[in-house]
Amino acid sequence: MLLQLKNIFKWVNSGGQRIFLLKDINLTVEEGEFISVMGPSGSGKSTLLNVIGMLDNFDEGEYHFLDESVHTLKEKHRANLYKEYIGFVFQSYHLLDDLTVYENLEMPLLYKKYRSSERKAMVADMLDRFNMVGKKDLFPAQLSGGQQQLVGVARALIAGPKLILADEPTGNLNSQQSEEIMQLFKTLNQEDGVTIIQVTHSEMNAAYGSRIINLLDGRKIGD
Amino acid sequence: MIKNYFKIAWRNLLKNKGYSIINVGGLALGMAVTLIIGLWIHDELTYNSYYKNRDKIAQVFQSQTFNGQTGTGPAIPLPLEPALRDGYADNFEHIMMSSWTMDSYIKYKESSIARPGNYMQPIAPEFLNLEIVKGEKDGLREINSIMLAESTAEALFGNEDPIGKIVKLSNQHDLMVTSVYKDIPFNNAFNDTDFIIPWDNYVAQWEWIRNSLDNWGNNSFQLFVQIADNTTFEKVTDAIIDIKKNADEEVAEFNPRIFLLPMEDWHLRSNFENGKQVGGRIKYVWLFAIIGIFVLLLACINFMNLSTARSEKRAKEVGIRKSIGSQKGQLVNQFLSESFLVVFFAFVVAVAIVLLSLNGFNELARKEISFPWQNGNFWAISLVFIVFTALLAGSYPALYLSSFRPVEVLKGTFQTGKYSGLPRKILVVLQFTVSVAFIIGTFIVMQQINYAKNRPVGYNKEGLIQIPTFAAEFSGKTDLMRSEFIKSGAAIEMATSSSPTTRIWSNRSGFTWEGKPEGFQEDLAWTEVSAEYAKTLNLKIVEGRDFSRDYASDSLGVLINETAKRYLGMENPVGKLLKDSDEEDPGPPLKIIGVVQDMIAQSPYEPVKQGVYVYDREDNFSYYNLRLNPNKSASQNIAIIERVFKEHFPDIPFQYDFVDEEYGEKFAAEERIGSLSGIFTALAILISCLGLFGLTSFVAEQRTKEIGVRKVLGATVFNVWNMLSKDFLKLVIISCFIAVPIAYYVMNGWLQEYPYRVILKWWIFALAMLGAMGITILTVSFQAIRAARQNPVKSLRTE
Repeated sequence: MLLQLKNIFKWVNSGGQRIFLLKDINLTVEEGEFISVMGPSGSGKSTLLNVIGMLDNFDEGEYHFLDESVHTLKEKHRANLYKEYIGFVFQSYHLLDDLTVYENLEMPLLYKKYRSSERKAMVADMLDRFNMVGKKDLFPAQLSGGQQQLVGVARALIAGPKLILADEPTGNLNSQQSEEIMQLFKTLNQEDGVTIIQVTHSEMNAAYGSRIINLLDGRKIGD
Repeated sequence: MIKNYFKIAWRNLLKNKGYSIINVGGLALGMAVTLIIGLWIHDELTYNSYYKNRDKIAQVFQSQTFNGQTGTGPAIPLPLEPALRDGYADNFEHIMMSSWTMDSYIKYKESSIARPGNYMQPIAPEFLNLEIVKGEKDGLREINSIMLAESTAEALFGNEDPIGKIVKLSNQHDLMVTSVYKDIPFNNAFNDTDFIIPWDNYVAQWEWIRNSLDNWGNNSFQLFVQIADNTTFEKVTDAIIDIKKNADEEVAEFNPRIFLLPMEDWHLRSNFENGKQVGGRIKYVWLFAIIGIFVLLLACINFMNLSTARSEKRAKEVGIRKSIGSQKGQLVNQFLSESFLVVFFAFVVAVAIVLLSLNGFNELARKEISFPWQNGNFWAISLVFIVFTALLAGSYPALYLSSFRPVEVLKGTFQTGKYSGLPRKILVVLQFTVSVAFIIGTFIVMQQINYAKNRPVGYNKEGLIQIPTFAAEFSGKTDLMRSEFIKSGAAIEMATSSSPTTRIWSNRSGFTWEGKPEGFQEDLAWTEVSAEYAKTLNLKIVEGRDFSRDYASDSLGVLINETAKRYLGMENPVGKLLKDSDEEDPGPPLKIIGVVQDMIAQSPYEPVKQGVYVYDREDNFSYYNLRLNPNKSASQNIAIIERVFKEHFPDIPFQYDFVDEEYGEKFAAEERIGSLSGIFTALAILISCLGLFGLTSFVAEQRTKEIGVRKVLGATVFNVWNMLSKDFLKLVIISCFIAVPIAYYVMNGWLQEYPYRVILKWWIFALAMLGAMGITILTVSFQAIRAARQNPVKSLRTE
């Protein structure tokens, strides 16, 4: 078991009323799974992903990640935990505009205190693997959307995470670019054994995964 | 990691060039001001650092009370010296009598120069740490010797060896040069002492000094001491405070108190008010220290405001970094590194600015400050200064930016919230409060100067020159010279006087007159003049008549000024007598022949002192005063006068001053303060406006979409401009209302020092407020109008 959510609730108070963003979510994810989270807009997909990614808090329930109880951890420990095991891929890539491709890839390693020689080797590896050696000195704005997302995935992968969380990774891409990214995810999942949880609107993308979770109004309505 | 921080910071600087220029430029300006002020303060505080024994050196001061008014000064009577030497020798390491620093003519062969110098007792070379370049250390042993400063020796002798040569002083006394000493550096007392002659020579030269040897009432000399190692200034003062009072019954009624003023107080704390030490230049040190801190603060506020205003742009970066694993501390470090980089750049630019402006500043402030390249302490302090500024300017943005929550900023639901702009607004208010207060302060200083300048002086100071006549040769030639000058056509009138027109050198007491109240201790300004003095100065006679050569009895006549008329309590002064109250050897009584209009001879900020103008019977004059011929140009007149002067006094260097320029010197201190604070105010406003400019451009950018929507819905350029400007204008108005009472309080206190002062009018404050608002509107409008004129389609399409 990689992670387990037990009776997770998350709400906001608005005008005296409690609005539930997540309602009684129970979910167990094993290592090596490829899960697609689906549901209409506002159903809580992204919130769920952020909770899993420990970027967001929840109000009630238990969250176990590997052997740690996330709900009892302090912010700093939690950050160390996700830094270690989780990589993020965003819909709008979220690359740092001021940094080159090379530096964007290097950044997570800096935060993990790898030595300079190690960083060089790891970034070179990743550039090689994604066929981006020639683009390493370009800035994000000089790349196409697909290429930017490729860098985004590479950045998520570089520190060797166990879990990749992707929030509509192909939302800003055309169909051909989407397919490339989804193929990449599939390969990562099957050949490298990386666990992937993605949020998507597209049935086609969901089909790449091994399991689909459906959300509606913060509730899990299908698995 | 650090490298990475700096790399990002550097790219950020390059990418946002406008922002960087505002940030680095504003900060650099602020730092340059602070640096210059710091150098100035250092210079002021290290005054007299040339003297090794400065902790032990003091000047003997005296305070006396006349009619309840206590006056304090360095002038002491001669018998004080033997009294100290005989009775209190244990307290002192050295005791040294000195004359005032006086201009004298020194002549060697054909070259003749006028230089300031002192008569001092032989201990002077040791007392003043003189560095002997040539000749003997003990140069004042022989009564007819003279020690010269290096620069003076050079001017007089050129390449010749001066030692053993004979020079002529005031064209009269032969003195032998015994040694040459290095000029005392500029930033020290006695820096203008260009020669030293033995004190005994001074005593031998003048009968009036010999007559004063046992006279406790003639306060005309200076006395310096170095106290013994085992005592303190306070202890010595306690011991000697009543020495004069106890020595002489006649002067005891003025309650004379003798005390020591330590060398470290000479420059900064030498003002006395009613016998109490009340500071002095130190107040300007404080004033400028405060200005420096505020200007730096303004620049730092810019930095903080611009950084946080850009937060929304940086928010995404913070979010990504956090989601990738950055901890808050690391982000804080990152933003602080950026701030260090900016501050460091600003410092480099500031140093460049200081280097470029130091000459001008020196000229303005009358300083000889050089940039302390060699000084390790300076660089150490600069480093601390950089770190301090970086922390001051960078800590708030660093903490603010690094506390963003990644989910919110990445989801795009990030909002800065209703009150997130509040700190920024408070900082802007603070900035403009300082700026407005500076504007008001500068206004008032300038007004006060103008007010005093426009005060009628009582005589016509334009077209009037004075020529110093400090040599014995001038005696007996007054009438000849007067007719020569007038005949030459360069002057239309001439008169002599015992002190310059713009000074009072002598005060007298010891008179009786009809109706003098019992126990009245009079104190009269005393000037001896020749018959045409009032005529030369265009001084108006308001009662009685002027001196006239037709009446021989006028040689015992006296003119009094209007204040003296009131002071002496005379309804009809003309014809009354001022009698000498000395019982043993009274001088002849003086008959008041007329009353002249008050003229300002001392401070233009103070009431005119009661004064008498006595007919100069004994050629005691020190100056020729000449009314130039108005039909010729000044330079023509001067050329002719010089020629005439040289015909009669070929051995005396021709010197002259325009009286109006001399008078203008009285404003020099205030004008320096005025122009310096004017410049600093201008810079403070510039820095504040830079910040405001930057802030407006960010607000305009932030609200691009809103402006687009509003324009689509029909808003005009004016509406948008109004909307953007209003917010800032509100802040500035708040600032004005905070600044006005503060400025009023401070400036009112400052003005209290001047008995003749401008009245604070409400319109000064109104004008300053309007000025600040006008500047704000101008600054804001530039960006606001640009934003308002953008095509809404463009700004909306990006969404």
